[in-house]
Amino acid sequence: MARTSITARTRWDTLHKNGPFPLKWFISTKLERKGDMPDPIDRYNDAAKEIMKLIKNARDAGDGFRALGSKWSMSSIAHQKDRMHFNALMNLKFNISSGDLHSNTTYDHKNLFFLQCGNQIKEISKFLEDQGKSLKTTGASNGQTIAGCISTGVHGSALDVGSVQDYVVGINLITGFGANDNLYIERHSKPALSDSFAATINARVIRNDGLFNAVLVGLGSMGYIHGVVIEAEDRFLLKRYVRKIKKETALKLATTLDFKNSEFKIPGETDAQGNALRPYHYKVFINPYNDQDEYAIEAIYKKPYDPDYKNKFGDPIPFMKEFVYRDLIYLLIKISEKFPKVIPKFIEALNGAILPKEDKVVVGKLSEIFWDAGYQGRAFACSFGVDHKDSAKALNVLADLAKNEGPIPGIYAMRFIKRSEGLLAFSKFPITCMIEIDGIQWDGSQHIISLEKFATRMIEVLKAENIPFTIHWGKNADWNFPGLAVHMYGNNVKQWKDIRNTLLSQEMAKVFTNDFLRSVKLDDFTPPTDTGLIDNLIT
Amino acid sequence: MKLKSILILIVSYALLVSCYSIRLKVSNGQAEPADTEREDALSGLMVREMDTIVKVKLTTDESPINIRDCDSGALHTIEYKNTFGGILLYLITFGRKRVVKVKYVCLKDPN
Repeated sequence: MARTSITARTRWDTLHKNGPFPLKWFISTKLERKGDMPDPIDRYNDAAKEIMKLIKNARDAGDGFRALGSKWSMSSIAHQKDRMHFNALMNLKFNISSGDLHSNTTYDHKNLFFLQCGNQIKEISKFLEDQGKSLKTTGASNGQTIAGCISTGVHGSALDVGSVQDYVVGINLITGFGANDNLYIERHSKPALSDSFAATINARVIRNDGLFNAVLVGLGSMGYIHGVVIEAEDRFLLKRYVRKIKKETALKLATTLDFKNSEFKIPGETDAQGNALRPYHYKVFINPYNDQDEYAIEAIYKKPYDPDYKNKFGDPIPFMKEFVYRDLIYLLIKISEKFPKVIPKFIEALNGAILPKEDKVVVGKLSEIFWDAGYQGRAFACSFGVDHKDSAKALNVLADLAKNEGPIPGIYAMRFIKRSEGLLAFSKFPITCMIEIDGIQWDGSQHIISLEKFATRMIEVLKAENIPFTIHWGKNADWNFPGLAVHMYGNNVKQWKDIRNTLLSQEMAKVFTNDFLRSVKLDDFTPPTDTGLIDNLIT
Repeated sequence: MKLKSILILIVSYALLVSCYSIRLKVSNGQAEPADTEREDALSGLMVREMDTIVKVKLTTDESPINIRDCDSGALHTIEYKNTFGGILLYLITFGRKRVVKVKYVCLKDPN
């Protein structure tokens, strides 16, 4: 049997200490020992039974229950005051054989992998690389669990790829403790695995685009994601450049993404006509307090895999460790090392801070370029998604807010993501620009606006300027802002709730509800009249 | 005289506890995760600590200290701390007593 420990606690906190939050029971499960249960499918199914038992226990006690991975989210989305289930040690990995495929699938079985919820990005990359494969994209780092990534929408800045959830093609979801509550969900328009595969994990199959897209970014509230099927691709290399370019050029690229006709060119990254190539990844770093003429940008180009790359270009990891343009918080921490530790003094120093140069070009695998972030202390992060065509205007509005009503101890960046099909994915625009504000936590005082107030004002100023936006589910925000979810997602909110309220019984909806869901008003339970929302649409 | 004694005591104590630490880490492996409230570089990881004095006999000189609690059978991170006091103990006992201050994180069992 899977080994579960249950510990009484009074509080829980995120990795970056954005709480603490109250907690009654912390629950952690390890898989049965391999020697006692050698078949991995048996251990997977054994873990499913354990999850169902824990869900039943929570229901019987009138408690809520929530899966917890690496606790990287800075919002309270992962928190549940009653019972939190740490699942990062549930990390089985399976290859998919040709016999496991659905008869109408378009997927190549060599690119499909079935992963248990607690697999972290770094170990998935290692598992795939050992088979000559790679993830399509990750976040800026690698510590998140796969289920946590898709539930909150973790993304990088791969313009034409999307977020982590966008390469998920199947989801094993547990919605209760009954025999019918273990589901395997896929898109009916793009089936992947066969019914017989689902039978090996004792799951009932539902192929339905609407249901799949609702569960895809489910905020941890559609049930318990026990496993996912991902589509990987052949391994590749990334060539990373950091350059200082004119502010106008950087922002024009952000709003047009027209690299071909841009004056920004990197020698060697051009086509036969000498036009700039479209990068795999584009990111802009901005210090809002310093009206510099140049912005630092990170451009990364995708290259065919070359087994000799380390001999040709050097080992990328020692360089990545030294670079400052990694994730945004890391950059700020590196800048802050030179400045006074007192927050007002630090902010004052930011006024004169020129973002550093970084000329070294590195080549490495996805897992090496987006390597370990490590712990960076008590941090905050806000992240707004806007249509990339609005990105310059939105950046201007948010930077002005920091200058006029701040300052706050943080700096800005822009990343870009292709649209997701997830109903509540914040990457909802054709290409979404995520404007990020990351920094060091501070106490609000008479001299500095509080983070809570600043978070409210960010929403207000974007609304006042009529800039449509979304907010990253795992970042700091005023999640109680009236009408926020509907303002961001419109009719998708009703559709998401209808599907949730059809998929879950009322008592299970209560079990999988937390305060975050209540804050964003996605928790109300009204069974929809159309019960066909979650029908299996193909066999 | 009294002040001098106090100063000598303070300096001696500072010398004995003064230390440096070195951290070794596997670059392509996943460390074993844990839900903790640590606020150091090992935050979010299952950190185990060893803080002891090993008595070495002639017959056991090359015998390693066994680590038995890594399910994966492998280590991800080792942080080794050396103090002046530890070196002094090693010298005055002719190497028979050795201070061991180690933090380690196992490699996550890949399952």
